[in-house]
Amino acid sequence: MSTILRGLQFYPGKTIIHKLDPRVKLVISLLLMATAALYLEVTIITIVIVVEALLSIVAKVFSRWARTVYGAAPLIILVFIANFLFKLSMPGQSLSFQSIYESLQLAYRLVAFLASFSIFFLTTTPEELGMALTKMKVPYMYTFAFISAIRFTPILAEELQSIVDAQRSRGLELEKGNIITRLRRYIPILVPLMVNVLRRSYELAEAIEVKCFGAKKNRTYLRELKMTTKDWITLSASITLFTVAIYIRYFSRISIP
Amino acid sequence: MIIFENVEYVYPNGFKALNRINLEVNSGEVVALMGENGAGKTTLLKHLNGLLKPTSGRVLIDGVDTRHSTVASLSRKVGIVFQNAEDMFFSPTIQEEIAFALNNFHFPGDVIRKRVDWALKFMELEEYREKSPFLLSGGEKKRLALAIILAWSPDIVALDEPTVGQDILQKEKMIQIIRQANQQGKTIIISSHDVEFIAELKPRIILMSKGRIVRDGPSEEVLTDISILQECRLLPPQIVSLTSKLDFLGLKPKLARPEEVANEIARRVRHLVNYS
Repeated sequence: MSTILRGLQFYPGKTIIHKLDPRVKLVISLLLMATAALYLEVTIITIVIVVEALLSIVAKVFSRWARTVYGAAPLIILVFIANFLFKLSMPGQSLSFQSIYESLQLAYRLVAFLASFSIFFLTTTPEELGMALTKMKVPYMYTFAFISAIRFTPILAEELQSIVDAQRSRGLELEKGNIITRLRRYIPILVPLMVNVLRRSYELAEAIEVKCFGAKKNRTYLRELKMTTKDWITLSASITLFTVAIYIRYFSRISIP
Repeated sequence: MIIFENVEYVYPNGFKALNRINLEVNSGEVVALMGENGAGKTTLLKHLNGLLKPTSGRVLIDGVDTRHSTVASLSRKVGIVFQNAEDMFFSPTIQEEIAFALNNFHFPGDVIRKRVDWALKFMELEEYREKSPFLLSGGEKKRLALAIILAWSPDIVALDEPTVGQDILQKEKMIQIIRQANQQGKTIIISSHDVEFIAELKPRIILMSKGRIVRDGPSEEVLTDISILQECRLLPPQIVSLTSKLDFLGLKPKLARPEEVANEIARRVRHLVNYS
């Protein structure tokens, strides 16, 4: 779990991807996810993942990006099993290569979604994301809540590790027993974590209130976002490629293996 | 007995937190690990019960190599009280919180009841038995964390920054508890920045800097070596600072009780007056 959280954490850099306007990066990520959502074909999803891998190489965050995908393996396996069992429970369905393959396709799509998210968060600071959302007319109250959640993610990951260490030192064995026993053993981890999260949120609320949060409806910003020529070119290229993807999916007769 | 043999530890992000640590701690000793933030104190503590395994070298706890043991089995011998006591709390009442580890270690029911009673009494928490751990004060929470550990009577008790957020009375209480636990034969290892607290306790001191042990010796020697303390970004105890500034009276930096130093100053001043 902490591996996924770390993969969604900003990693500083001066690459072309880091320098792109956060709105453009957000659009690219959403378009990549939308492409993965349009197709179930393994070939297309593989192309999406390869594009994401290339972007991560350009942004010099490949190893972190790859670690996120690797860290998500248990979640992906869970999605596969859930889909597979759901398919089996449908009337008229039986255990077949087709049902396994379709469940695998859905799990594979999840990899593309997660990988796309990871590149965005690895190359965008929470502040940039906040600015992008505000520019998109999202109320600042919601933007602030969202970026606070992201900013506290690494802290939460550290706290989670401290709690796991503390409870393991009291003889708690998380790896033993069947799935029900294991889930029950997570109670000593989740309760202190929830308490820490609640306490932190109260402290944050007090801290922003003393700094006059919400005093004026329209606030000013230290930095303003401005689209450059590079941003427009990247945005146009991405939208064009996505349009091609839609065209191939709905209007062309090209058969995809 | 605790033995560290050429221990190195590198975190997954590449940070080398321990660098060729060689250390022996005998049973029944009181040892303080001191040094700046990031010196490797907590990392070293986490090696005692196998939460971290050495990247190279080995750690032996009473002859048991931590690389080949589980955290649960090592924790039966080594109890660690972490800096943030609340990381442990999840039970609705204090007595259940203390009983949790005893259940994990498969103590029989009647023994658990006896040990919980003993730990509550020892830490003066009896009146809060049915209270939620989250409703205790800062000092009481630290005491509860220690009660949780002492209840299963590990041979080695490690305390990570036990005085953080504690007032002077709570620190005195902590010193008392540590001395009592040590008198019961327990090996005590404390990681701390608090020089005044350590000066009061007078343990063997291991000074750490950048993952290495830079000095190992009795408090009287280490805490009076101002240059090495400064190297490790530590201030000397106030009494040592005072005596270090009285060299015109022939005093050397000294770790002693204030009354002793006051008497010494008075004696030397009287001597100077009589002489002149």
